Amino acid sequence: MIYLPIAEMPVNLLFVLLVSGGVGFVSGLVGVGGGFIMTPSLILLGVPAPVAVATGASQIAATSFSGIMTQTRRKAVDWRMGMLLSIGGMLGSASGVWLFERLLRLGQLDLIVSLLYLVLLAGVGGLMLAESFAVMRGRAIKGVTIFRRPIRTVAHTLPLRMRFPRSGLYISIIPPLLLGYGVGALAAIMGVGGGFILIPAMIYLLRMPTNVVVGTSLFQVLIVASLVVILQSTATRTIDLVLAALLMLGGVIGAQLGARVGAGLKNEHIRALLGLVLVAASLKFLWDVVIPPTEAYVLGGGMW
Amino acid sequence: MKRLLAFALLAFAASAQAQPTGDVASNLPAAVAEDRITVSSDYRGSYVTVFGVNPDRRGRGDIVVVVRGPTESATVMRKRRVFGLWINTAPVRFRDAPSFFAVLSNRPLRQIASPQSIWRYRLDAAAMARLESEVPAGADPAAYRSALVRLREVQGLYQEYSGRASPDRRGGLTMYQGGLFRAVVRLPANAPIAEYHADTYLFRDGRLISQQRVTINIARVGVERSIHDLATNASFLYGIVTVLLALAAGWLSALLFRRT
Repeated sequence: MIYLPIAEMPVNLLFVLLVSGGVGFVSGLVGVGGGFIMTPSLILLGVPAPVAVATGASQIAATSFSGIMTQTRRKAVDWRMGMLLSIGGMLGSASGVWLFERLLRLGQLDLIVSLLYLVLLAGVGGLMLAESFAVMRGRAIKGVTIFRRPIRTVAHTLPLRMRFPRSGLYISIIPPLLLGYGVGALAAIMGVGGGFILIPAMIYLLRMPTNVVVGTSLFQVLIVASLVVILQSTATRTIDLVLAALLMLGGVIGAQLGARVGAGLKNEHIRALLGLVLVAASLKFLWDVVIPPTEAYVLGGGMW
Repeated sequence: MKRLLAFALLAFAASAQAQPTGDVASNLPAAVAEDRITVSSDYRGSYVTVFGVNPDRRGRGDIVVVVRGPTESATVMRKRRVFGLWINTAPVRFRDAPSFFAVLSNRPLRQIASPQSIWRYRLDAAAMARLESEVPAGADPAAYRSALVRLREVQGLYQEYSGRASPDRRGGLTMYQGGLFRAVVRLPANAPIAEYHADTYLFRDGRLISQQRVTINIARVGVERSIHDLATNASFLYGIVTVLLALAAGWLSALLFRRT
């Protein structure tokens, strides 16, 4: 057991390392940040939601930086696009932290976080399941077929266009800014990096080549997560350094091991498995808000 | 031997803070086993032990010991079904709700003190919390108040025990020969880190005869303290340190795992 100075509670050291290692493993396996599994896991462990959300961001910064090191060597980062997404992301996370504080005061934070998780986990999980089953049956899904054809999207018609040599694009800067903004806000409220939303959006909306998508999204996630850590530490003071250190340790080791194992597995099988995990997790959140509570009253205010 | 211990306690209590209330005497000798509880990385909660002696030679009267944490405002909300979802609605604010409250007595509190005394001397947690905001139309303020106490009881922050402690209980008050008493209460790990007060009351025939206040300090020490101080006094720097730690962890892992 180790006492967390900001969360003001003791946690089982080995248990936290196992959980963060497990989440890191899954994230390394499928190439997502894993914040969307880590934060709910911490809340289930009894860590107060604001501490879980804010502290989770520091673990995301660690794993994404580790990933960028690898991606930079492969020249798989579109820095210009990454900067643009990050500018949007910084504005988004500032609004997100502000909203986070408002919701905390109103006592609705837990509910909003639960609902966001419910919708996003079910949505992304469902998509992953559908996609992997389609691949397993030897058919490409609709989205991928569209992607192969050179169809112009909104991004190509809006004003303020800019060249992105590494991605081979000439598109408006408005969609990347808006996308970054939305993901930044989500990162601050939910304690996630947002890679699981950013990656599909970059492929289907911005039409970026798949090989630069992961590295570029990691860059945006790193910038936004770092900013969220600093903003949360000054605005809500809910970052627990001891918990953060434990999460980083377990997370980075797990991620590297996961990446290793992932290399030897079939992609669609991994995705189907993750999709199942996400859908199952979303059912847990659904259960919480739909089933009549046994206790009609809840405590709010104070610090949480 | 008992006498000797009683004298030792008397000397102890003389140094303790007195808090006289009107015509109530403060000659009740009481002391805590530890007036400073330290919180380090292995902290898993603690116990507060209050000793004292009933000054009445024939041992008449009842003893009530109350351990209180700092007061804070608290909000209680009621869950209501909105579009099929259970949403927290109608918040009611309480002022001066104790963050920790334990009342220990040698027999049931309601047999010792009248409801008026319980309210006047704030001997139960509900008596301490004062309503600050309006209660929504049609709602019962008492329901919110009892919900506050019930929810805090579940968290182990509000406790009430009468009689001696037993293995299956987390606290109790035991009377010994010669008027000596000992009250023990479990301070859970989620109780706030702050200054606590242990108040001892002597009641006779339902009237308060004497009372005594002792202060207990709970404080972080070592690394826990440095981290908390940095987080509150230099929050921006604390954020930077966390980010740098994250970058170092990411960089190290990428470096280490590339070789292997």
